[in-house]
Amino acid sequence: MSPAATVTFTPDQRSRQSSGARNVPVPVVAPKKKANVLALVIFIACLGMGATVGLSLISETHSEFVARGGVNMFIGNLTALVGTYLALIMVLVVSRLSFVETVLGQDRLVRLHKTLSPWPISLIALHVFFTTIGYAQAAKTGFWHQFGTFISSFPNMLTATIGFILMMAIAAISIRAIRSRLRRETWWSIHLAMYLALALSFAHIIALGPAFVGHPLARALWIASWLGTAGVVLVYRFLLPVVRSLRYSLKVVEVKQENSEVSSIILKGTNLEKLRFKGGQFFSWRFLAPGIWWQAHPYSLSAMPKPPYLRLTVKNLGDHSGSLGSIKPGTRVLIEGPYGTLTAHSRQRQHALLIAGGIGVTALRALLEELPAKSKPVVIRRVRSQEDLVLKAEVEALIKHRRGNLYELIGSRRHIKFDGPAIQKMVPDILHRDVYICGSQSFVDGIIEIVKDIGVNSDSIHFEAFSI
Amino acid sequence: MKKIPYAISGVLIGFVAVVTLHPAGAPMLTAAKSSTGAGPSRPASVSSSPPQNATGPVGPSAPSSAPSTSSSGSQVGQQSGTSGVTPSSTSTTQASSNQGIRSATGASEQYGYGVISVTVTVDNQRITNVSVANLQVAESYSQSIAQQVIPMLKRQVLAAQSPNINGISGATYTAEAYATSVQSALNKLHFS
Repeated sequence: MSPAATVTFTPDQRSRQSSGARNVPVPVVAPKKKANVLALVIFIACLGMGATVGLSLISETHSEFVARGGVNMFIGNLTALVGTYLALIMVLVVSRLSFVETVLGQDRLVRLHKTLSPWPISLIALHVFFTTIGYAQAAKTGFWHQFGTFISSFPNMLTATIGFILMMAIAAISIRAIRSRLRRETWWSIHLAMYLALALSFAHIIALGPAFVGHPLARALWIASWLGTAGVVLVYRFLLPVVRSLRYSLKVVEVKQENSEVSSIILKGTNLEKLRFKGGQFFSWRFLAPGIWWQAHPYSLSAMPKPPYLRLTVKNLGDHSGSLGSIKPGTRVLIEGPYGTLTAHSRQRQHALLIAGGIGVTALRALLEELPAKSKPVVIRRVRSQEDLVLKAEVEALIKHRRGNLYELIGSRRHIKFDGPAIQKMVPDILHRDVYICGSQSFVDGIIEIVKDIGVNSDSIHFEAFSI
Repeated sequence: MKKIPYAISGVLIGFVAVVTLHPAGAPMLTAAKSSTGAGPSRPASVSSSPPQNATGPVGPSAPSSAPSTSSSGSQVGQQSGTSGVTPSSTSTTQASSNQGIRSATGASEQYGYGVISVTVTVDNQRITNVSVANLQVAESYSQSIAQQVIPMLKRQVLAAQSPNINGISGATYTAEAYATSVQSALNKLHFS
């Protein structure tokens, strides 16, 4: 693979190559359209929620409710339906469904998934408790005896119980105190078993759920919505990545050490001119090398694709990125993506401010390439030391070509003041710019708060946080 | 958030749509009126066919409650007032002679998921009909099971001319309770 040595992603070459196209101002996406899609998504999700609560009411007669155990059975039924519906939403939120992804952005969706997930888990646990109590009361027996009866003589209850135990185990390892002791990959692999847990418990809902026994329409809709979700997961999380990986058939051609911790990996593939990638987006990468082939990790492209080449720049953050520095040329790479909304296409205004924390510069470096010439972008890089200014020359050249300004804030937090007044001093016209932020979660959160305080409209703030 | 109105209207529309589009509305909300006559502690019970020859409770075993008249909807658990009392028979024998068409309702048999009692009709020495006098089940699933298997059990009893039936796998408890109730009705009729 000798041609690797000739691959360069220097911006000069790039801008000469396609300056004609790049000089056209990027169309400004109407913020209204994005807001409308978001409203529609929220409306549909809540429509389903209302319908689910309604289902629990139509499935119960008044006499059932007031009879022995009826109240507990009703609570058990309501918590089951609402909990399972929320579980459906949780699956959809991380299903990479493209139209939701483009509106909300993957990091926000994952965060939503993280914050809301305790709800379906707790509701499903409550369902198990209350339904068992209710049946035990109706049959005048004890809780555990009833539990045994469920497993031994109710249809699909054995699999549902296994699914429930699995679900609770997965929930337990996601509790922060436990999760922080696990390797990310270990956690993630176990977490995948949630699909299995949900599949195992699906049959008992259909066979036993009072909302579905004798309600063919409700049953059909429920089955359809879960099959649809399973289809979305299958297509977006499995088939599409496989098809794309085959189509682009990427291989590592070169690993370039940027500094002691950061390396750039250059890949060669086929059909890359068909890749619909926007600067600032990322892929989930799976390097088919011993020991790491089973883990997929998200990294941004650190330059616009240059068919047949791609480049990503990776910092030694976890076990995975550490071993990438020593990856061998020729290694096959599977991809999922591109994902992310941190692109020039989501711009609301003509000018932009880019704020990069540490290695977060990689995504903004590619985005910068897509900004039109003379668009006068302001770029602020916040790093701990001089050495951390990776891709320095490339970023400088790109900014120069666009008549922009670069600020490099180097040093520890104690010495560098990076607050509202400091930003306003560097970027007096910040209110007329779109703000792009990329960095660690805490960096992104902090900057969002600062620029919001300055008065930047939240529609004009675009961000992507990377997690370790 | 600006999106809250969308969220609220979504929930409301979804809820109202399900409740109103459902053929019977929300039974839990609407049935409340129709069954208030029975009082909240005396839920109505399912009686697929009220005993035709009911002449009131007879016999040494005093019933805890008379078979209630029909009303729609299934019911949880057992009849009210049976606290601690073993299920007692609600016999409705018409005659003690061994001739003609006679019928009797057997004891209410509790099984895991409900209570069942049947009315057996005998013409001379033949069992001519078995009907459900009272069926109360814990929830809709058991209801649907019972409704599926009762016709089969009836056919088995009529074919065997006795409560000694094979039963139905998957509904063992229901079949046992059904057979026991048939037997108790036959006992009342002095049917051998």
